[in-house]
Order: sequence, then C-alpha cells, then structure tokens
Amino acid sequence: MSAPSGAARRAGGALLGLWYMLTVLFLFAPIVTSIVYSFNLGSLNKQTSAFTGWTLAWFADAWNNNSLRHAVEISLTASFWSAIVAVILGTCLGFALVRHPRPLVRRLLSGLTYILLIVPETVIGVSLLLFYAVTRIRLGMPTLVAGITPLAIAVTALIVRAGVLTLDRRLEDAAADLGAVRWKALWFVVLPHLAPAVLAAALMSYVFSFDNLVISSFLTTPSISTLPVYLYGSLQYGPSPAVYAAATSVFIFTIVLVALAGLLYRVVLRRGPRPVRPR
Amino acid sequence: MADSTNSLVSKPAGRSPAAGRALDHLLAALPALWLLVVFVAPLGFTLVFSFGHSSFGGIKLGFTLDNYAQALSGFYLESFLRTIQFAVSGCILCLLVAYPAALFIARQPPTRRTPLLLLVLVPYFTSFLIRVMSWQIILARGGPAEFALNLLHLLNGPLDVLDTQTAVFIGLVYAYLPIAVVPIYLVLARIPQPLIEASRDLGGSALQTFWHVILPLSRPGLATAALLTGVPMLGELVIPVLLGGDKGVLMGMAISQQYLATQNYALGSAMAVLVLIAVAVMVALLVRLTRGFEEISA
Repeated sequence: MSAPSGAARRAGGALLGLWYMLTVLFLFAPIVTSIVYSFNLGSLNKQTSAFTGWTLAWFADAWNNNSLRHAVEISLTASFWSAIVAVILGTCLGFALVRHPRPLVRRLLSGLTYILLIVPETVIGVSLLLFYAVTRIRLGMPTLVAGITPLAIAVTALIVRAGVLTLDRRLEDAAADLGAVRWKALWFVVLPHLAPAVLAAALMSYVFSFDNLVISSFLTTPSISTLPVYLYGSLQYGPSPAVYAAATSVFIFTIVLVALAGLLYRVVLRRGPRPVRPR
Repeated sequence: MADSTNSLVSKPAGRSPAAGRALDHLLAALPALWLLVVFVAPLGFTLVFSFGHSSFGGIKLGFTLDNYAQALSGFYLESFLRTIQFAVSGCILCLLVAYPAALFIARQPPTRRTPLLLLVLVPYFTSFLIRVMSWQIILARGGPAEFALNLLHLLNGPLDVLDTQTAVFIGLVYAYLPIAVVPIYLVLARIPQPLIEASRDLGGSALQTFWHVILPLSRPGLATAALLTGVPMLGELVIPVLLGGDKGVLMGMAISQQYLATQNYALGSAMAVLVLIAVAVMVALLVRLTRGFEEISA
C-alpha cells in the first residue's frame, strides 16, 4: 500500500467520523432543546424562542392541568390495550412470517407487514374516520385502540421475527418427536424461548402506540383525546412552556421503556444458536 | 399444568401433520383477519367512496370520476405534484445524510458498531411530536440556530427559516434520518472485507473502490431506506403544518382538510387514493432494487 493513498484513506475516515458526529448532534439538538426550554421562563405564559431564565414552575403547571392529565390517562389506557392486542396478534404474525409452511403465505404476510409500516398515516386516519362514519360505529376508546394497533402489530411482528430467526428449529422437531402436539410444542417449548423478544416487542409497541399522533388525531373526540393530540392542538396557538414540560416528562418515560426493551433485545440476540433458515 | 405434561408423553399419536398445519394456518389467519377489518377494509371504503357523489356533509354511492377530475386540477393538482416533489427530494436528502454516517459505523470494529448505531436510533424512539416541535424554537427568530450561526459568522442578522420550505425539508430529513441509516448500515456491514482488499491490491484508489465496489453493493440497503423514508413522506401531515406555515400545502394537509373542515368526503377519498397510487408506484419502482436485502438483514 502506497503512503499517499494510506494518508488519503485516513483523511477520508476522519471526514466520515466528523460527519457522523454532526449527524448525532443534529439528531439530539431538538431533544436537548425541548428539555432545556421546558425550564424556560418564557413571557406572558407563552414559550419564547429566546431563553429568558430558569424556572421549575411549568412542571407544576403541567401537573395541575386537568385536561393534560386526562389526556395522559387516555394515552396510557389506549396504548396499554393496543400493546396487548399487538403482542398477541403480532407474536402470531412474527412466528408465521418465519415458520409458516407455505412460502407464498410467508411472502404475503411479510408484504402486509411492510405495508403497515409505510402507508402514510394520514391516509389510514381518514379511511378509518370514513369507515366508522359509514358503519355508524361511535368513536371512542375501542375505535381509537383498533386504529393504532396495525402499526403496533407490525413493530411487534418484526421484533418477534428476529427472535424466531435465532431459534433452533430442531427444538420444535425434538418436541414433536417426543410426542408433543403442535400447540404444546409451541406453547411449552417455543414461546418460553421467545419470551424476551415478546416482552421487548410489548414495550416497543407500547411506546409506538403512546407516541401515535396522526391516526389518533382523526379518531379522537372531545372526551377521548390522547396526549400527543392534545399537545399538537395546543402547539397551534402559541404554546405555554408547560407543553414542553409535559413533553420532557413523556420523553423520560419513553426512554426508560426503550432502554428496558433494548436490554431484553440484547438477551435475544446474545443467546444461543445461529439463525436457522426456514426450509 | 401437570396434566398437560403427562399427556405430552402419553399421546404421541396426537401429532398428525394436518393438525400441526391447522395451527400454523391459525397463527397466520388471526392477525391477517384483524388487519383485514381494521386496516384493509377502511382503505377499501376510501377506494369505493372516491367514486361516489359528494353531498352536503355526506356521501352518496355511485360511479363518477368527477372527484378525480377535481383532485387533478388547479390547486389540488399543484399540491399533489408538490407532495411528490417533496417526498422524492426529502428522501434523496435523507439518504445523502444517512450514507456517510452508516459507512462510518460499518467501518468500525464490530464491538463498537452497536453502540454507535444505537446513538443514531434512540432519537427515533422518542416522541415524534417533541422532536418536531423543538424545531419551531430552534429555527425561530432569536432562537438557538440564529444564535449559533451568528456565533460562527455564517450569518449576520436574523434567521428567516421557520415557515418556509427549507424548514419543512429540515424537519423531513430529521424525522426520517434514523430509519434511513439502519438498512444502509446493514448492507455495508455485510460487504466482505476481502472484496475491498482485492480492489485495493488491484490498484484501486479509495474513491475508485467506493465507486465501483462499495456503492453498487449497497443498492438493496439504499432502496430499502428510500422505501422506509420516501413513501411515508407522501402523506406527511405534522411536519409541514408545524414548520412550513401555510405556504405550499401538501397532500396530507389537503386531505385532512377535506375530512375535518370542508367535509367533502368524496373529494378527500379521491385525493387519498391518489396518494396511495403514488405510494404504489414508488414501492413498485423500489422493491425491485431491494432484492437481496431480506437475506442480508436476516
């Protein structure tokens, strides 16, 4: 290797490193800003772009705001039920994505999963609104939960799929050879091995449901409004820094859940046998 | 529990292949049926009603192409074309920013890659709304960006970026960057090192190696990243509303206005179907290029 080209390569590497650092800075700047500005004094009860001084008052303000608290309760409940549905159906889907005997079915299901992730949420939101209007189903908690499940199911399915891929297929075969019927092999042998992946998926689907804004914004009613929808609404009329205080609290809540999910996911990936390809 | 373990041993006859297959079908059918009701059926309603006649505050079934004619003319056509233009350029910008970052991560020793990737990914898992609304402060007059740019002497005086297309692009790139990095990183990390060494040994410069070896091999990752970023951008609603002000309405906004304000459901449905067609075209163009990604990412 000639010296100049080595130097050039090192310079290229340094440039890439610089780019990476700028990217991370870019990604974290708004998060840091939002946290810092939740302590901003603001002026006349409104958030200001210039930082005017430190205060903790907005956290108390957010805590004492009844409509905000109500929105938090609705969000917690809706994402809880959404995560429950997503864990049950998403685990089935994630397993079928890898182990369904027919390749055609596997391909259809994986197409469906990716479609869930990429169809613009606005289109889904208005379609649901129309669907419920035509079928005369009243909007409420169940419709809200049903509306946000598809995304949560897709997230769960992809995480569980990763878990199934690390499972040794011979485990199932051994259970079958020892006389276990299929559902018992799955329930007593496969599911316990998938538990960390399923739990990580549950947390992530909870986070995604809690964070959902666009679909929820079409399905909320005056009495059923989620936290992101409430915050989004208040942003359009010059928000008070209390909105940022609430957002910062949500951020900490989310980070804790994501960190838990991450730890569980590590357990999944660290464990045992190499991926066994579906036949 | 004890009973079932006993019967595990005592009933080997129970494992008929047909019964096993029935369970596999059930596992596939349960989520598929649910998604059919809460996801596919509503989209079907939108398709049907896009051909209906709009009446005041309601909709009458029928077959007319009037809604599409209206959605493809004047103001609505403009916002449709603008939306496609925004999604394509937003997606390209996103890939341009993501690629070098992904390349950097892939070139690190394996133990260091995961933390570096996580650092990029963590913001994606935090609240979307929080991340976007902070840009309102950052980009505002007298905000942190103005301060920083003046400090670096890149700008003298106030910064007028909020409520412009530039702000929308910053928001789009920002929101979708993490999911663009991941698929690109996955392909780059799987490129065999001997291939790169071979290119060097044959006298290829760093740039030539990149252009003739690394870049062509990263095609499936780039296409997957484009799929995950460009397609959802076609319906983006929140970013243009919060950062773009009222200039340059995009389809997401226009559709939601038809439903929530004007209540012309038929026209709104036609516009939603147009977005879905744009989605389908983009997916069809890109899916071809993602071939090979499944094997890599698994």
